[in-house]
Amino acid sequence: MSTAHPSLPRRSRLDPEPVARRDFLGLAALWSAAAALGFAALGALRLPKAAVLPSPSKKFRVHLPESLAPGEAYVPPGRSVALFKGADGVFAISTVCTHLGCIVKPTPHGFDCPCHGSRFAPDGSVVRGPAPAPLPWLAVTSAGGGSVIVDEGASVPPGTKVAV
Amino acid sequence: MSARSSDDGLARLWANLRAAPRRLRETMFRSGPPVSDRARSSFIFGNVFLHLHPARVHRWSLRWATTWGLGMIALSAFLVTLVTGVLLMFYYKPYPDVAYESIKNIHFVVPTGRFMRNIHRWAAHVMVIAVLAHMARVFFTAAYRRPREFNWLIGMGLLVTTLGLSFSGYLLPWDQLAYWAITIGANIAQSPREITDALGITASFDPGGLQKLLLLGSDEVGEEALIRFYLFHVMLLPLILVALLAVHFWRIRKDGGLARPADAEARLGPPHPATYPVFTEAPQKTYHLAAVVRGRTPAVGNGPEGTVPAMPHLLYGELALFMLTVGICLVLSVLFDAPLKELANPAVPENPAKAPWYFLGLQELVSFSAFMGGIGIPTMVLIGLGLIPYLDREEAGTGEWFGGPGGGALVGRAAVFGLTTAVALEALAIHFGWLRQWWPEVPQLLITAFNPGTVLTAIYAAYSLWLVRRHNSTRAGALGLFTCFLAGFVVLTVIGTYFRGPNWEFYWSPTHWPGH
Amino acid sequence: MPAPHPSPSATPPRSARGVTSHANKILLLVSSLATLVVLGWAALEENLLRDWRVIQRNYAAALPPDAKASFNPQLRQIIVPALRTTDRCVTCHLGMAPGEQVVPGQRLFAAHPPIPHDPGEFGCVVCHGGQGLASETADAHGTVPHWPEPLVPRRYAQAGCGSCHTHLRVPNLEQLRLGQALLERYDCLACHAVDGRGGTLRPGGAAGLPAPDLTLVGARGYDPGWYAGHLRSHAAAAAGPWRTSFRPIPDDERGALAAFLDSRVGAPQLIEAKALFHSLGCRGCHKVGGVGGDDGPDLTIAGQRDPGQTSFAGVPGERSLAHWFAEHFRNPSAVVAGSQMPAMGLSEEEIDALVLFTFSLRRSPFPEAYWPRDRIRSERFGEREFATDGATLYGTFCAACHGRSGEGMRYPGMTPFPAIANPDFLALASDEFLTAAITRGRPGRRMPAWGVGEGGLRPAEIATLVNWLRKSSGVQPERDPRPPRWVRGERSEGERLYRAACSGCHGPAGEGAEGPALANPVFLSTASDTYLVETIARGRRGTTMEGFTRPSPTRRALASYEIHTIVAFIRTWEAKP
Repeated sequence: MSTAHPSLPRRSRLDPEPVARRDFLGLAALWSAAAALGFAALGALRLPKAAVLPSPSKKFRVHLPESLAPGEAYVPPGRSVALFKGADGVFAISTVCTHLGCIVKPTPHGFDCPCHGSRFAPDGSVVRGPAPAPLPWLAVTSAGGGSVIVDEGASVPPGTKVAV
Repeated sequence: MSARSSDDGLARLWANLRAAPRRLRETMFRSGPPVSDRARSSFIFGNVFLHLHPARVHRWSLRWATTWGLGMIALSAFLVTLVTGVLLMFYYKPYPDVAYESIKNIHFVVPTGRFMRNIHRWAAHVMVIAVLAHMARVFFTAAYRRPREFNWLIGMGLLVTTLGLSFSGYLLPWDQLAYWAITIGANIAQSPREITDALGITASFDPGGLQKLLLLGSDEVGEEALIRFYLFHVMLLPLILVALLAVHFWRIRKDGGLARPADAEARLGPPHPATYPVFTEAPQKTYHLAAVVRGRTPAVGNGPEGTVPAMPHLLYGELALFMLTVGICLVLSVLFDAPLKELANPAVPENPAKAPWYFLGLQELVSFSAFMGGIGIPTMVLIGLGLIPYLDREEAGTGEWFGGPGGGALVGRAAVFGLTTAVALEALAIHFGWLRQWWPEVPQLLITAFNPGTVLTAIYAAYSLWLVRRHNSTRAGALGLFTCFLAGFVVLTVIGTYFRGPNWEFYWSPTHWPGH
Repeated sequence: MPAPHPSPSATPPRSARGVTSHANKILLLVSSLATLVVLGWAALEENLLRDWRVIQRNYAAALPPDAKASFNPQLRQIIVPALRTTDRCVTCHLGMAPGEQVVPGQRLFAAHPPIPHDPGEFGCVVCHGGQGLASETADAHGTVPHWPEPLVPRRYAQAGCGSCHTHLRVPNLEQLRLGQALLERYDCLACHAVDGRGGTLRPGGAAGLPAPDLTLVGARGYDPGWYAGHLRSHAAAAAGPWRTSFRPIPDDERGALAAFLDSRVGAPQLIEAKALFHSLGCRGCHKVGGVGGDDGPDLTIAGQRDPGQTSFAGVPGERSLAHWFAEHFRNPSAVVAGSQMPAMGLSEEEIDALVLFTFSLRRSPFPEAYWPRDRIRSERFGEREFATDGATLYGTFCAACHGRSGEGMRYPGMTPFPAIANPDFLALASDEFLTAAITRGRPGRRMPAWGVGEGGLRPAEIATLVNWLRKSSGVQPERDPRPPRWVRGERSEGERLYRAACSGCHGPAGEGAEGPALANPVFLSTASDTYLVETIARGRRGTTMEGFTRPSPTRRALASYEIHTIVAFIRTWEAKP
């Protein structure tokens, strides 16, 4: 610190003298207090980041309707997944738009997003609109008896089909 | 503009950009770096968070023995609960059962959650203790006297608000402890029915029922009560507390700082040269007051010898007390977990169901008469406390510990009297029972009016009147009354905390409690 | 008064009168450093020393290198919103966590033993107890104060089934053992596996269908035509297992086999314990699921006992519920002050089974939509937890007081319980008398009324009990051509004789002592005169009640008219309201 600080008023009889500055004890105390408060603040800031998410498992079991035609989408109630049954197996495509998370609607020619006009082909690839990535394919495993287990949390390479 | 080339403009922009950090620093604080007493003063009153401080503070106020820092500790504890409380609100859900689960989540999986909850709990206890001790300090140094009478009343408001905050926070975990403590508290609010029932007018005039209804929003402790207590705890009472705190601090300055004896400066001796007061030979601002005051102008030429700059002297003290409080709360939090019992079960009462410790004195009184213990006597005590500055208008001893006639000796005698009377009365009631055990048919109104609690209050009042007469001093009476009440509070709280077991029976130790 | 201008001093002296900021600085420094230390310790504890972090470090260390790299140390949980389940047990029991691998040889990281359920579907706590929300060992296992539901000990793990399931039609132990013995005698285990045994030999070799595992056959159901199919295969086979291992089974033994197979639901120890419960007659005093006597506490959720609300004062040693239950079965009144339950003289194996059974008496808070079929059938359609054959009914309701085979019972401090299998009694007592005695009980005495409104037994079940008494003893009632009331006699004479001969055992006012109470309204209204007269005349062999038509060393024989006067006197009690 320079005594010729520009903002320091001109020395006058109102400022008889600068105060002593070599106050090691005071500085040590102040810095340790600052360190303690900073440490405490860091600890406090950790708190809002949840250690475990309160969301349930993304895996669910679903029984495909017998009458499901090839190319026709089946959306299990309450889920954001479209299931398809083809000759070579079952596959699942997420219906969560990769743009901003709206739920896309399966149509005969693919998927339409109601929010910002993204369109996807039946295999999930982007046809038009702002979506930056294709709709992911989700992991499907056969659970026997015509039902499958879909994991909304795990994606697989497009084209992966599972025989049921 | 046209005279300069565009290069100049860009150069100036670049220079301004480089100067931005320095300018930011300079504009953030209205004064320069605190390198002189004057700059330090302007640091204080140019800062919105510090401007409640005086620029200079009397050396008497800075002595540890003057205040023992109790008010600052209470404020620090409040700040700690404020910060941790806001953090807990990230996860707390005010709905029965879910509330309990969210506390379990805070305890078990929220990062630092258990620690924050512990700090919140223990800081609340520290705050209650500090507020009570602060009040006792103000009383025993006779700091409530003119012109500080009203600030004493504000302080009482702060005490009640602090207790209300603690009490409303008690329900939020929705465990057995919480549920039954609040059930008892709500029924204390309902206890005026003890009088109205005895008079047979409850059907037409029922203030007790109204109080309970307002408190719980229902006839029992349920989700309505929880959301109300949550509102009280996180919004209403903190707002009231902050408003009262602002007035409290503002009044300290307006009432001339902390109380000190008339001969404080003589007793302190000459100040150290390094802190020697800056007396201005050319006072500038002082005269501005002349525009609004009648009579004599402030004493010009009379230097503030007894004062030192608030920065750094007062700020070091405050910061030290704040860190001390934080440190105490943290140590407590590492050593002890905040209590959390099993999920609230309205079918199985806790036995004994105990309120937080600072209410156990009341709970002891309530065990004699719900109305008198829960409402009557506390109201009388609050009125008595509030009247003290208006009844004791003497001058001698202001700002001194146990100042007044007799001083420490009188307080000591009053303490002994207060303790023995309370213990004796409790022993009598515990050993021989009270009216109802002797005459089962005794009317309730008689018990309400005449029970160990009211008897104790009456004895204390009589004792203090006797002191007024004997010492021919209102201060003597105030000292006696306050000391007695403090002693009574301690005795009742200790008995309620350590010597009451299931069914509120007397036990020498919890190890003697019968099994369930 | 201008102040003298002080000379500048570079450093203030250490301690200066009136300067408190020096002390305040020291206080600030000390508190700040203390705070830092405490914060450091808290950060260490939070991030490194938590139980689950230590356990996950051990787990990672035990993993093969490639799996170790992909292992992410974090809290794990099973959340089922519909069931309000949040179980964090898999944070430490990593072998059961979805997507994690099992570490061989370490129990903590083992996989869940095979059960019909996916733990991910229901969570852990519903079966095992404990505190699912907790992430510290002691808290999670619930062995801490203020957690009402501690972990069910590992060896009693099958008790967890009782949270949701009500096993139906469990026979008594004797019949269960019979079914088991038949299974072995008929060599079923040659082809079929049951409860992890057998199934080593498969008919048809590699080409043929394997014989089904019967471990869960009671829950999954089986082909009702299995026996005919087996017979056909047996007839068609010239040699091999179908010829050597299988042979025809008589009808009644097929019934015992079926009862055994129906109880194969994957919890053999629990079924065994239930069968024991159905043999000891505990329901004589205790209700479970609304059926049973009222002398003892209702046991429907006795397994959910809160250790915090339990006194361990009378239980030396370990402070656990399992130990409390076991001690209680050894000596009830020592554990529960004032308990009237007699010490039943149980073996240690029986006590262990009963502890398992007691733990199974719990009720999950799951919504009804999640109830399994057996509980729906039991609670909504009135199906029974106990088999409704006579032997099991007797074992379930009667055996504790009347003895395991009706020989009567004596417990210290209680009046003796009558031997209801006594042939003299069964010969005189009509079926109506027995049915009424069971249905209406003996008011004021230990024998409760077992009718639908009281003990909960249905008329058909009571009839089954009466039939079983007849069948097992082989005694049919004597025909009685007389009307229920035919005796005439001098009551005062009868009173004199009663005082001399009867009141010693039956009490001066017929209130009962060593012998049963006679002045009992249900007894008097249902007992015929013939029953009373003949009982006095013949006595009860094997009991202290002698036949009074024969003289004894202490008294003379009574003449038949004298017996009539006694009966007439006994009838006077009936008139009283």
